[in-house]
Amino acid sequence: MSDFEQFHVDFYQSNYTIDDQEEGYNSYGSNENLCGSRKSQAGEQPPAGAFAPLEMLPPSQTYTGQILQPTYSPNTLSHLSYTDGFDEEPPLLEELGINFEHIWQKTLTVLNPMKPADGSIMNETDLTGPVVFCLALGATLLLAGKVHFGYVYGMSAIGCLAMHALLNLMSISGVSHGCVASVLGYCLLPMVILSSSAVIFSLQGILGTFLALFIIGWCSLSASKIFTSALAMEGQQLLIAYPCALLYGLFALLTVF
Amino acid sequence: QMWQVGKRQASRAFSLYANIDILRPYFDVEPVQVRARLLESMIPVKMINFPQKIAGELYGPLMLVFTLVAILLHGMKTSDTIIREGTLMGTAIGTCFGYWLGVSAFIYFLAYLCNAQITMVQMLSLLGYGLFGHCITLFVTYNIHFHSLFYIFWLGVGGLSTLRMVAVLVSRTVGHTQRLILCGTLAALHMLFLLYLHFAYHKVVEGILDTLEGPNMPPFQRVARDIPVVSNAVSNTTAKAVALTL
Repeated sequence: MSDFEQFHVDFYQSNYTIDDQEEGYNSYGSNENLCGSRKSQAGEQPPAGAFAPLEMLPPSQTYTGQILQPTYSPNTLSHLSYTDGFDEEPPLLEELGINFEHIWQKTLTVLNPMKPADGSIMNETDLTGPVVFCLALGATLLLAGKVHFGYVYGMSAIGCLAMHALLNLMSISGVSHGCVASVLGYCLLPMVILSSSAVIFSLQGILGTFLALFIIGWCSLSASKIFTSALAMEGQQLLIAYPCALLYGLFALLTVF
Repeated sequence: QMWQVGKRQASRAFSLYANIDILRPYFDVEPVQVRARLLESMIPVKMINFPQKIAGELYGPLMLVFTLVAILLHGMKTSDTIIREGTLMGTAIGTCFGYWLGVSAFIYFLAYLCNAQITMVQMLSLLGYGLFGHCITLFVTYNIHFHSLFYIFWLGVGGLSTLRMVAVLVSRTVGHTQRLILCGTLAALHMLFLLYLHFAYHKVVEGILDTLEGPNMPPFQRVARDIPVVSNAVSNTTAKAVALTL
C-alpha cells in the first residue's frame, strides 16, 4: 500500500496510523461539519482510487491552516481522502459474506432436529460454518490420537458430489453444489460431539455403538429436514435421510475405529 | 479463443447433465413404495404363467448396494484391519458395484439370448432388490460368528430372494431350456456371491491376524482363494516383513 507510505511522508506531525482507520470512521461523522469547510478549501474531492492527485494539491495551502491544530487536522485531511474510498466499502465481515447471525441460526437448526426448519435459510451458500466444523472434527480426532484430516476431506468431497447427484435426480428444482456442501457441513456438528466424546472414553463397546447410532440418526435427521424444507420434497424425508445416514455412518466408522 | 474453450467446456458439462437427467424418472419414488418392494423381494411369487410386473426403479437398488458396501466395511473394521483403510473401501465398493452391474449385464445378455422379456433397468432393479437378502444375512452373521447360523441364513434368506428373482424371470421366459439356463445361472451366481462375501472377508482377516501374531504359522493356511485379495495380503505382509527387518 504505497499510498499510505506517501501520506506518512507528507504529514510530518501526523499521529495517524493504519490502526486508527476504524476510529477515523467514528470520528468522521462527528467532524463532518468541520470538514465541510475544509473540503471547499481543499477543492474538488478526489475519487476513491486517486490518492496521488491529492498529493499534488499545494501542501502549503492545507498545511498553513493546520499548524494551529496539529493533532486534529492531519487526521481530518487524511480522513477526507480515505473516506471517499472507504465510505462506500462495507465492513470486512460483510464483504467476506460471513454473517454470524445466520451461522448461529443454522447451527441452532441443526442442533434441534425436531423443530420445523425455515426453507429460505439455505438460499445463501455459506461455507464458513462447514469448514469450521470439518476442522473441528479433524482437531477432535487429533486429540483422540488419529490423524485423519485427509480422510475427512476426501469423504466429505465425495459425499457432497454423490448427494448432489442424488438430490438433483430426486427433486424437481435442482440444487447447487454449494448448497449441498453447506447443509452437509452444518449437519456434521453432532459428529464433532461424538469424536470429542471419543477422547474421553473408547467407543468400541456397546455404549459407544449406541452413541454412534444415535449421533448418526441425529445428523441424518437434521440434514434431511433441511433438504426437504429447502427443496419442497415433503413425503421423501426418509428417502433423503437414508443416504445421509450412510455418509455419516462412514464418518462414524472413522471416529469409532 | 478463451471464449471458445469456455463454450466447449460448458456444452460438455451440459451434455453430461443431460445424461444424468435421463435417469431422473427412475428415482421418483415414495418411501412406502420402497418399503413394499423391499418386503416383496423376499416373497417368491406363485404365478409363473403370467409375466410378473417389475418396477423399473433405481433408488432402492442403489441404496441397497451402498448398504452392502457399508456392511462389508463394518465387518472388516470390527475385525481390526485399520491399517488398510484405503484398500478396504476400494475393495468393498468394487466388489459390490461390480457384482451388481456386471451380473446384471451378464444376465441381461443371457436373457437376450434366451428371448426373455426384460429390460436392462428392470434387470438392475431386480438384482438390486435381490441384494436385500444378502444385506440381512451379512449384517447378522458378521456380528454373530457361528458358521452353522450362516449356513441357515444362506439357505433360508438367500434362497428366498433367489427364488423370487428366479420366479419373476421364469414368468417372463418361454421354453424349458431357456428357463433352465437363465435361472440356473442367476441362482448359482447369487448364492455363490453370498458365500464368497462371507468367507472371503472373514478368512482374509483371519489369515492376516495369524501372520501378524505368529511367525511360525504358515501364511497361506486359511486365506481364501481369491486372487486380488490374496495378492493384497501378500503385499502387505511382505511390506511389514521388509519394514521389520530394516
